[in-house]
Amino acid sequence: MRTSPADRKGRSFITPPSVLPDFSPARRVIAPSFAARDLATRWGGEGRNETGGSAQGGRPPRGRRRKALVLVAFASAISTTSYAADLPRVMSMNVCTDQLVLLLAEPSQIASLSDLSLDPSLSFLHEEAAPYPKNSGRAEEVFLSKPDLVVTGTFSLHNTTSLLEALDFAVEEFAYDQSVDTIAGEIRRMGALIGQDAKAEQIASAYERDLADLRARQCSTKPAAIAYEQNGVVLSEGTLADSVIEAAGLTNLATELGYSAMTPLPLEQLVSHEPDIVIVSEPMTDAPALADQIAQHPALRSLESSRIGAFVPRGAWACGGPFVIEAVRALTALREEIASCAPAR
Amino acid sequence: MLNPILGLACLLLTAASLLVGPADLDLASSIAGLFAGGDAAAMIIMQEIRLPRALLALTIGISLGLAGAVLQGLLRNPLAEPGLIGVTSSASFGAVAIFYTGLAGASLYALPAGALAGAAVSVLLLLAIAARNGATLTLILAGVALTSLTGALTSLVLNLSPNPFASYEIIFWLLGSLRDRSMSHVWLALPLMALGWVLLGASARALDALSLGEEAASSLGIRLSATRLLVVLGTALSVGAGTAVAGAIGFIGLVVPHLVRPFTDRLPSSLLVPSALGGGALLLAADIAARIVVPTRELNVGVLTALIGAPFFLWLVVRARRELF
Repeated sequence: MRTSPADRKGRSFITPPSVLPDFSPARRVIAPSFAARDLATRWGGEGRNETGGSAQGGRPPRGRRRKALVLVAFASAISTTSYAADLPRVMSMNVCTDQLVLLLAEPSQIASLSDLSLDPSLSFLHEEAAPYPKNSGRAEEVFLSKPDLVVTGTFSLHNTTSLLEALDFAVEEFAYDQSVDTIAGEIRRMGALIGQDAKAEQIASAYERDLADLRARQCSTKPAAIAYEQNGVVLSEGTLADSVIEAAGLTNLATELGYSAMTPLPLEQLVSHEPDIVIVSEPMTDAPALADQIAQHPALRSLESSRIGAFVPRGAWACGGPFVIEAVRALTALREEIASCAPAR
Repeated sequence: MLNPILGLACLLLTAASLLVGPADLDLASSIAGLFAGGDAAAMIIMQEIRLPRALLALTIGISLGLAGAVLQGLLRNPLAEPGLIGVTSSASFGAVAIFYTGLAGASLYALPAGALAGAAVSVLLLLAIAARNGATLTLILAGVALTSLTGALTSLVLNLSPNPFASYEIIFWLLGSLRDRSMSHVWLALPLMALGWVLLGASARALDALSLGEEAASSLGIRLSATRLLVVLGTALSVGAGTAVAGAIGFIGLVVPHLVRPFTDRLPSSLLVPSALGGGALLLAADIAARIVVPTRELNVGVLTALIGAPFFLWLVVRARRELF
């Protein structure tokens, strides 16, 4: 391990164990506030699911050991990275690229992150993002900080992006349409862009290994799940959440019904199909909105055979990144709880 | 004859409203689901989703129709209507101001509290304006100003909310919808609305006397201030509670009294029950249409009532031009 003073100073932000991407369940467990807590205790605690088992409102029961391995991988990746001085300084203007940058870059490489990186409902690594300067995605801010590279999403700020390109800034865009299978590629791409290839390779291959392991636990019993967001919008075909549901060995009811992307699904439709799992999302902020009340609708609570709760760790499937594995893991655990894969009689 | 017909229309439209929805339920399972029994999903859909929706459409329609008839009688102004004179938009603003700022947490009870306050303030303001200057036009212009102001303030509060979904809810608060309401909304609004109906109904005799003019009414023993108080409280309760759970739905209170008036003896008091029933029937019909006009995307019911009501309003204005100017 290198011990040059500059290096140690640069790393002081991200030295284990305090700031490392911490996937430990203790911190990331679904903390079902509002209705989700009600629902989780109501449906989980009383063990109403037909297959029995100790229902815990979707808390992933396994995987602590695996997470420890991931942590070790990150730690060793950090200890082998090169000296930060000659690495490009990067400015991220999108909450998804923020998190890839946070995972891969040396602290001294990070010029700034987008201000959404602090939002816990969008950014899994929001605590890690706290120490860095923030930008609100304006071209002027790029001029002031003169980074070597700007990374952003194809989904955001087209005008800013084209202005910056016209002014000869290096801008790299990351696509918004992601699936569990594109994530490793995105990690490697970001690694190559910011001179952290080795670290990216390590994280990406650990992710691929974990994903393959979880996929191997799939079986022919595929309970129906639905991701029912604010205002009754479902995450269906073409979304990251859809591929997570599929990777966890579940069927996405919304996709089965022919919905694609993010579309509102009438509550009546949901009730009439009685999905085994309803994944509702927690409110994005403390500020109330009527949109969040759909999760508390009595019709949803009356579904006796459905498990209803947040289930997915907060922010874990809002963006593509290695933490998406936590969403797959949580849903896999939930599936195994409600429908055993034991060989059929 | 008029009241039984309108009552029957309300019943039939309530039944129709219960049978319309995105889930394909046949008649038998719908009825079984409504009165317990049958399969669980059908029961939940009927009792927890469609029944509250139909009940809210009926009762909010009744509130708006009744409030329209009473306000037209009290102000002796054919254009008075809770939507047009700014009562519903003030109620919306009151609900928004209390709910989205989180003053009362995320509790549903914040909504009617704010809406009632907003509606009451606006009715008081309008009565003060009407007392000072009795011209029909003044009241309508004041209402337009109040509607724009409270609409803008509603949008402002929703835009400033840190919750990213709040901005989308501008549509709900300005145009109203009955989508995915639940029985808790019914229990929240219905008692308040019912109390409002009683207060508005109690003003009937005074309204008849007022049609002879304020002085004649006083000489008949009508206490004007008491009548005003009844109407203010009744309108605030019935319109405020309805707006709190369904957003601002306009024009029902304008259209219905005019439609039923030719079939009555034209006394303000005999207009109240037909207007209430007609309002219920019209909102039920509009809400059914909102669900079936574009099958894949539900419309906001306020859009439909405005599509019916705005041309009607324009026609009334053109017809009454001589009186107005």
